[in-house]
Amino acid sequence: MHALSARLKIQKGNFSLDVEVDFLKGITGIFGPSGSGKTTLMHLISGLEKPDEGHIEIDDKLILDTSKNWNVKSRKRQIGYVFQEGRLFPHMTVRKNLLFGSVYADKTQQIIHFDEVVDLLEIRELLEKRPKNLSGGEKQRVAIGRALLSAPKLLLMDEPFSSLDIALRKQIIPYLIRINKKIGIPMLVVSHDLPDLLSLTQELFLLRNGRVEGHGNYFDLIQSEKSLDIMRGAGLMNVIPFKVESHDVENGLTHLINRDASHEIHVERELINDCCKVGDELNVSLRPEDIAITLNEISDISIRNQLKGNITKIIKKENRTYCLVDVGFLLIVSITQASQQKMNLEVGTEVYCLFKSMALQINL
Amino acid sequence: MNELLNFSEDELLAIRLSFRVAFWCAVFILPPSVFMAWWLARKQFRGKSIVEGFLNLPLVLPPVATGFILLLLLGTNGIIGKYLNEWFGIKLAFSFYAAVIASMVVSFPLAIRAIRLSIEMVDPGYEEAAKTLGANSLQTFIRITLPLALPGIISGFVLAFARSLGEFGATIIFAGNISGETQTIPLALFNEIQVPGHETAAFRLLLVAVVFSFAAMSFSEILVRKLHHRK
Repeated sequence: MHALSARLKIQKGNFSLDVEVDFLKGITGIFGPSGSGKTTLMHLISGLEKPDEGHIEIDDKLILDTSKNWNVKSRKRQIGYVFQEGRLFPHMTVRKNLLFGSVYADKTQQIIHFDEVVDLLEIRELLEKRPKNLSGGEKQRVAIGRALLSAPKLLLMDEPFSSLDIALRKQIIPYLIRINKKIGIPMLVVSHDLPDLLSLTQELFLLRNGRVEGHGNYFDLIQSEKSLDIMRGAGLMNVIPFKVESHDVENGLTHLINRDASHEIHVERELINDCCKVGDELNVSLRPEDIAITLNEISDISIRNQLKGNITKIIKKENRTYCLVDVGFLLIVSITQASQQKMNLEVGTEVYCLFKSMALQINL
Repeated sequence: MNELLNFSEDELLAIRLSFRVAFWCAVFILPPSVFMAWWLARKQFRGKSIVEGFLNLPLVLPPVATGFILLLLLGTNGIIGKYLNEWFGIKLAFSFYAAVIASMVVSFPLAIRAIRLSIEMVDPGYEEAAKTLGANSLQTFIRITLPLALPGIISGFVLAFARSLGEFGATIIFAGNISGETQTIPLALFNEIQVPGHETAAFRLLLVAVVFSFAAMSFSEILVRKLHHRK
């Protein structure tokens, strides 16, 4: 069953949006460059704007059908909307902000209680403060909590990272994952920042010029040239799930192992901090530019991470060549065209992917 | 100096009356001003500039002309006043109520302007957020727009009050110059200036007018500043 399915058409001046989307439960990322219609799409789904033509169902309940003149008002749609800037009411304390929607919410449909939200988002100390005294990350958490307490069936998040600096972005992501795990509410997260989005979900919709240019799993998407073209300007990223295998205290390394236990990589223990126990799962991100390709395993080199695989696809874009390498999981590697030609790399070539452990980023 | 504070019975009457008229004027003008201000600030409709022009008319029309229009409409033989008199026995012209109505008409555009500015400064994003959280338009207005625009609304109240204290032209035409009933400070001042030898009395009233007008305008400015600060 789909969490939400929608067909929407709207013309606004020179810009037109014409999309058909089906979102599964879980977290779905909507990625697109600015001006691609992401916010318009969110507005149409939430009812803040009305499409020229459209049809929306949430949980198989009809929310909008312009052909039948059916339009459930924004306030009745049970969609939690976390705005880019948070939009906390400045004249109310955090507590009153959080409780704003609960008076209108159907108590039987409440998905989470006040105390749970406060604990989950760690905002108990902030309850009596005014929004102007909160940091960006705190505001964002309160805004998420406020939306959750209005008993939504779906959570929309418009650029939840863009108002935060890099350190804070990393902090908000675990909260979102926790919310999704704990209360299972479907989430649509809009962003123009691919690495941030990927640390949250691999299920993506690509939007460009008001059209859906691709949807599905990130690793399926990068195999299509069109999707790759949309995404590559925003920072392609490899995101690989790993499990903590062992801590090598003596050498300051942690050994990670991938899902089917076929590959082991090493990361600096500092990166992991002490937050992960043996057996914990985590996502490792790695930029395609930070991977080198060799034809043979190299023993006299400081780089310990050398994964063997076959090239499954080569995509050339301007001066870059993107190689998809199946090393048990897919890795996207970006090299220069000159290297590709000199090394005679083709589909099927057996290669080794080399990367320094320092190049890895850990998402918990 | 003592002379300046030694108010006569009639002068005190005029001062008290002025405040009564100003108070009721501001109280009655507030709800329609808030509504019109919200309507003009938030809604787009055809003929909006015509509505705005009509509402602002008392700002530029000679107050005497406004008074005359009121007389034509609400006077005992006026277009509406005739029926008020015939059906309900209500005679508005040349009464305390006429003084209040005259003040209301001239202060209406001022109050709307102040309140409208403050509502326009409320980010509609907050109202959108309230709607996605389940609030209807009225609940959104009461819980979000009104409190955020409050300094401007108080400022509108004070401006209406102050404008009423200074109202002369419309009042003298529509309400007359009846001591104790419609003779407010400006009308009493007008009387005193007409009579030779009453300069001290005129000064006393002048002083009262200056002090209260100044206080009201300063207060209103402080509120406007507060509004900007909150942003």
